[in-house]
Amino acid sequence: MEGALKLWIVIVAVGVLNYLSRMSFIAFFARRAMPPMLERALRYVPAAMLAALIVPRIVAALVAGVVAWSTRSTLKTLVAGMVALWLLQWGVPPAHL
Amino acid sequence: MTTPRHRAGRVLASEDFRAGFVEMLPVCIGVVPFGLVCGVGAAAAGANFAGAMGLATIIFSGAAQILACQMLADGAPVAVVILTCSVLGLRFLMYSAAMAPILSPLPRRWSGAVAFLLTDQAFAAAIRKYDAHGDARRAALHYTGSGMALWTFWQVTNAAGFYVGNVIPAAWSLEFAVPLCFLALLAPALRSAPHVLAAVVAGVAVMALDALPMRLNLVVAGVLGIVAGLAVEMAEARWKAR
Repeated sequence: MEGALKLWIVIVAVGVLNYLSRMSFIAFFARRAMPPMLERALRYVPAAMLAALIVPRIVAALVAGVVAWSTRSTLKTLVAGMVALWLLQWGVPPAHL
Repeated sequence: MTTPRHRAGRVLASEDFRAGFVEMLPVCIGVVPFGLVCGVGAAAAGANFAGAMGLATIIFSGAAQILACQMLADGAPVAVVILTCSVLGLRFLMYSAAMAPILSPLPRRWSGAVAFLLTDQAFAAAIRKYDAHGDARRAALHYTGSGMALWTFWQVTNAAGFYVGNVIPAAWSLEFAVPLCFLALLAPALRSAPHVLAAVVAGVAVMALDALPMRLNLVVAGVLGIVAGLAVEMAEARWKAR
């Protein structure tokens, strides 16, 4: 049950860290203003992190689209799209293949 | 002399608490697909029911839950998963600072407790309410109600998603919904040119840094995107000041 243990370590650690973030200014620094630089930087967290998570998939789809359009071959499109996704996402093909 | 129990009863009976709870229900309907996807994602990553509900009850943040499941399923080390999810959770610092004046009328212990209910949606609703009538005490009660509504709904949808994920055929490709959820979150985050640039830099960096071990490219690319957005914003401000 190594996987379950890992999952629970992540749940507890991320849960605690998220709670500390949520509580920070409400409970700890209630009488303190946030450093302006930090405030500005934090506004970019959602855009940057979410883009890092999905851009490889979007680019892979675009690669497949270009190959489909230029070659009109189903096989080449599939191969190009999947290889692009693996390369962009993991650097290698998934282990179970 | 009011005992804590009486105080809690008064909160639950207050008009603002109930209004917050009820007004959050349409938003709750809106997050149903996201909650389902989180449950499906937990099931797909091999979590049992307790694990799936641990994610929903304790982390209580859809993007972080999905990210944690995906990274663990990919075999990323626990420390890197925690680091990446925590950077994603840094946005709560921003919400926390904005919520602090609204929750200031509450007793310290109580505001510390309801801080746990802070989410993108509850934050947006509370700020709207506070801007509308400027009464922090009423806005705090309203926020407590809306936060509890969302938390409760979140548990139900995650549990439903977990069972759905275990039952429905693989041919439905529900895992395709995961990037769609992130895409739906990303679109409103691209509010200005510096935000778009932050996303572009993060997107390019995550691919360029693909060779980094342990999927560290995610968090490094995210930080690079944040720095890029901030740098452009400051350059822009300096340009305008001239």
